Amino acid sequence: MNGPVERLLHVPPGVQCFVGEEARRRRRIEERVVQVFEGWDYEEIIPPLYDYADVFGGAALEARTYSFVGRDGSLLALRPDFTSLVAKIAAGRLAVRPAPIRLYYSGEVLRYEPPKAGRQSELFQMGLEHLGGDRAAADVEVLAIAAECLDGLGVRDWVLALGHVGVFNALVSGCRLDTPRLDALRERVEAKDAAGAREVLVSSSTPPEIAEAVARLSTLAGDLRLLGKARAALAVSEAAVASLEELSQVAEALGSAGLSERLVLDLAEVRGLDYYTGLVFRVYAPGLGFEVGGGGRYDTLLGRFGRPMPAVGFMLGLDRVALLLERQGPPPEAPPPAAEATSGPDLGVALRRTRERRALGVRVRFGNGGER
Amino acid sequence: MSLTLALSKGKLLPGSEALFRRAGLAFPESGGRRLVVEIADLRFLFVKDMDVPTYVEYGVADCGIAGRDVLLESGSDVYEPLDLCFGRCRLVVARPRTATGDLRSASAIRVATKYPRVAAAYFLARGISAEVVRLSGSVELAPGLGLADCIVDVVETGRTLEANDLEAVEEVASSSARLIVNRASYHARRQELRGLVDRLRGASP
Repeated sequence: MNGPVERLLHVPPGVQCFVGEEARRRRRIEERVVQVFEGWDYEEIIPPLYDYADVFGGAALEARTYSFVGRDGSLLALRPDFTSLVAKIAAGRLAVRPAPIRLYYSGEVLRYEPPKAGRQSELFQMGLEHLGGDRAAADVEVLAIAAECLDGLGVRDWVLALGHVGVFNALVSGCRLDTPRLDALRERVEAKDAAGAREVLVSSSTPPEIAEAVARLSTLAGDLRLLGKARAALAVSEAAVASLEELSQVAEALGSAGLSERLVLDLAEVRGLDYYTGLVFRVYAPGLGFEVGGGGRYDTLLGRFGRPMPAVGFMLGLDRVALLLERQGPPPEAPPPAAEATSGPDLGVALRRTRERRALGVRVRFGNGGER
Repeated sequence: MSLTLALSKGKLLPGSEALFRRAGLAFPESGGRRLVVEIADLRFLFVKDMDVPTYVEYGVADCGIAGRDVLLESGSDVYEPLDLCFGRCRLVVARPRTATGDLRSASAIRVATKYPRVAAAYFLARGISAEVVRLSGSVELAPGLGLADCIVDVVETGRTLEANDLEAVEEVASSSARLIVNRASYHARRQELRGLVDRLRGASP
């Protein structure tokens, strides 16, 4: 498996190598997405490949970060995520720039991932961050950009599943659950297992009406019409209803902009990176068993870097988009025109003629005529 | 495109068939050898019970029926919206009836099981260092032959344990058949799934 010959000929598990047509398809996807980002006036940021490990200090990613010791003894980490880096740079390098700041990125992140459905250690992410500014406006802007990307890529039948972490957090804030039990509860709610959620809470001191609301929360996933039902089911918590109102405001604006068919509600969407504080969403489409991308609001992350301001971001996984488009069978792209062979007995003459053809933009294959 | 359903061809098969019949849904004739059968807009995949969550997690199947025991072991990232209330069993720690001493005070124990993840997590959470011996079947043999001190296995009636001079000493989890749904299908194919889920819900106790 890992003998000297294999090491020289194969790449290790978790990373991939793309050649020719595959690489071209990925570039096309990236170009299309970046075009949309630029179209909404986002500026590109190319952050470093590694940074001090503290920058990525969220508990969710720590265990999956490739870290190493630098020459000066500091602990460094290959970027497992772009958001923390963008936040750091917005708070530091761009400290004097007024909010809102709109930045996009496109590149690889590295994470330890167990080999599983759609997971690699090296992931190519295309995403953006909207830092500062009006929260509702930023939320709808980011979702509209996600929608435009998906349409622009030719993804069929995609949906945006919207949730709000404030709903679950408000319900459990009064329950005084210890961490293992809270994790177990979150896991059961995310699995949409109402009975399982009830079971976790049954031996806790959670008030029965809150326990019931949490159990019902796990079933509140589906059409936007569920919003009405959600209001009734969550009425026990004022804070939960307030979060729900925030979410419905966003959904309503997107609906008015013609996107209502694309939206589904998923209030049982309660897991993920622990820095989310408000709206969360994931993109799904038939043909791929897992999300193509997603994002959410993280209003407390910038404070860690000394420039507290609200923020929202979103990203698409290039690897997943490529797989999805392949599965959905997009119209095949026209292959690039065949190259014109330019060769001749006299190398100098042949090269001069070839350069003339190139100046006209012709695709050439230069050689001595010996190759096909 | 029809919905694809992954079903166990093992112990949950009779219960799954009965559920479908109660729900008024067509179900492939039993005794067939075909592993993929398409009837009435549904494509049935018949796979090993431990593999059902995998087919659903990867989205090869939109939904499936799997035991909670199998879901705990697989750790698959799937939705479990419905307890189908059949195939009830318990995952237990069992050991020879003749064994003495407190399991919890042992410094290290050896556990034979078909559920290595569940067993390892269970003992880890109790501060017991356990060496997990993974077996594919006839786990009840292990303690008697000296392969392990105890086993973690599913029990329905307890008769197999009894026949092998074992007794259940702790319950790890209780299990029943669950409808599981792929995360993307749940949202992106919700209209098609809703009919199926509603009928199965109506036919469950």
